[in-house]
Amino acid sequence: MKNIVTLINNELHFSLNEQLYDEDVVFKCFYWYGTDYNVEIDKKDNVFFVKISSKSETKIDHDHLLIKIKQDLIDFKLRDIVTKETKNIRELLTAKAFAHFETDENPVTEISDPIGFDPTNF
Amino acid sequence: MISVIQKKNRKFKEINYYQNHDVSNYFLLPFRFQKINSKTEILVNEVGDFLLVPVGTAEQIILKKLDKIKDEDLYLDLISNFFISEEVIPPLLNILEARYRTKKSFLDHFTALHIFVISLRCEHTCHYCQVSRVTENKDEFDMSLYHIDEGIKIMMHSPNPHITMEFQGGEALLAFNNIKYAVLKAKEEALLYEKHMTFVICTNLAPLTDDMLPFIKEHNIMISSSLDGPAFIHNQNRHRPQRNSYEVTIEGLNKCRAILGEDNISALLTTTNLSLDYPTEIVEEYVKQGFSNIFLRPISPYGFATYNEKKNKYQTEKFLTFYKSAFEKIIDYNKKGYYIREDYATVILKKILTSFPVGYVDLQSPAGMINNVIVFNYDGKIYASDEARMLAEMNDFTFQLGILGQSTYNEIFYGKKAMEIAENWTNESLAGCSECAFQSYCGADPVLNHATQGNMYGYRPTNVFCQKNMEIIRYLFDLMEDKSIEKIFRSWITGHSE
Ligand code: SF4
Repeated sequence: MKNIVTLINNELHFSLNEQLYDEDVVFKCFYWYGTDYNVEIDKKDNVFFVKISSKSETKIDHDHLLIKIKQDLIDFKLRDIVTKETKNIRELLTAKAFAHFETDENPVTEISDPIGFDPTNF
Repeated sequence: MISVIQKKNRKFKEINYYQNHDVSNYFLLPFRFQKINSKTEILVNEVGDFLLVPVGTAEQIILKKLDKIKDEDLYLDLISNFFISEEVIPPLLNILEARYRTKKSFLDHFTALHIFVISLRCEHTCHYCQVSRVTENKDEFDMSLYHIDEGIKIMMHSPNPHITMEFQGGEALLAFNNIKYAVLKAKEEALLYEKHMTFVICTNLAPLTDDMLPFIKEHNIMISSSLDGPAFIHNQNRHRPQRNSYEVTIEGLNKCRAILGEDNISALLTTTNLSLDYPTEIVEEYVKQGFSNIFLRPISPYGFATYNEKKNKYQTEKFLTFYKSAFEKIIDYNKKGYYIREDYATVILKKILTSFPVGYVDLQSPAGMINNVIVFNYDGKIYASDEARMLAEMNDFTFQLGILGQSTYNEIFYGKKAMEIAENWTNESLAGCSECAFQSYCGADPVLNHATQGNMYGYRPTNVFCQKNMEIIRYLFDLMEDKSIEKIFRSWITGHSE
């Protein structure tokens, strides 16, 4: 997060580097700021320029908002990692769950119930 | 740490298990996470199993910083609950598939609930009701026998072997003769089509007379009535010239209980602006009347539907304050030994604490409209849900699916309109919901989105449905950290105190 400018008239401007924050992360994160803020995002040369202004008369607490944004960006980056890393397995899971159901043979597996977990319980 | 699956004992392991630990040697499986309070966050996997863990745990897991030995308990919980796997494709994936299929099994049988708006007439003039008419004109405002017949035909085409036929109004009992006709006809057809029928009449009980009860009893018809709280709230909400709606309701309730049995009568709460100031009194009234459940429903935005973001947010915040105060009172009663459950929470808790789907139309993905419910209006028009018909009464026919006697089953249930709605009815594919930790406990409501935000897709940050569910689900998890409350919650989903 760079070039942070806090404006007295209820605005906050800053930039984010695309190498650190993927476009999906930036848009998914600031989507939720629409509850209380108007958000504008521009992109030039791998840098996102974000402008946040309050929807209401209430004065923005810039320090508080900055802490929240930093934390949210981390969280949405983490969510993005899960979404991308698990995309194939999720698709496989839904496709197989809704494919015409036939009783499969029990899966051939090395696991001999190493954690005391008994699949027949399901 | 709380897990939905009760922990089994860990098996003894060989020495090489401990020598061979590799910090990041695992793969992520789909899961979502969210903060519950300043100390705890929740991890929820693709089938709705959850783990409550200290804040920061999700980060550790996702960045592969977990140590198989040092964090052994958590590590094994994550493996056994399908949050992570030691192989790219977990060897027990077919179990996860089966669980996923079970969670969505409410789709298997398709539409169960068929609502017949048997009459629009009513003798009440409730100020929040946009729909009813005070009139003697049966021809114009009662459902015709032709439309009843056509509705039954469509109903019998449902692939679902268990069908519920619900009579609504206006005031349904004003058209009791038509209800009798419809019940007898439906039963006859049900024999042919091998359907198991359940009948429900929604009524304010005012027109209930003694000669109706034998028929209701003989055909096992359930009565769904309304109780808005003590007399000063109920009578204020439900205008009758005599100002005695409360007294008439209580008299009717007692009569139904005596003749039909406790289990065949229920009451619904309609929350109004007035109710919001009296959460405790409302819960006390339900206890006074001997109910073991209460459904704290939000104020319906239909009729006042507005795209005013600020007003919607304010109303939802007020409702949530009301909900929590009433909920505390309910918990209090349970702690003192009086079993009473809150129905909305119970639906959510069932989704959280059991592997099974819950047939509650407002909290499903794909949404309950069409998949679980269809509405035949008094004039023969067919709507996707009860709320869709309310919109139609305000001249918004977006969710009209067809006309009885004119549209075929396929046109109604698989037509262009149904397909358009279907594009917006799975929360898995909606912005905001797709990465929300509460996705499997929540649902999608294209009709509400349309009514309050002007489009079916909706915009979660200012959405009343999202605002309400996000906070109620978080609140339930927050409370569940208290073991004595978790025990009460478990008694709600089993239906009896432990
Ligand atoms: S509506 Fe809100 S709470 Fe429900 S799944 Fe979507 S984002 Fe989550």
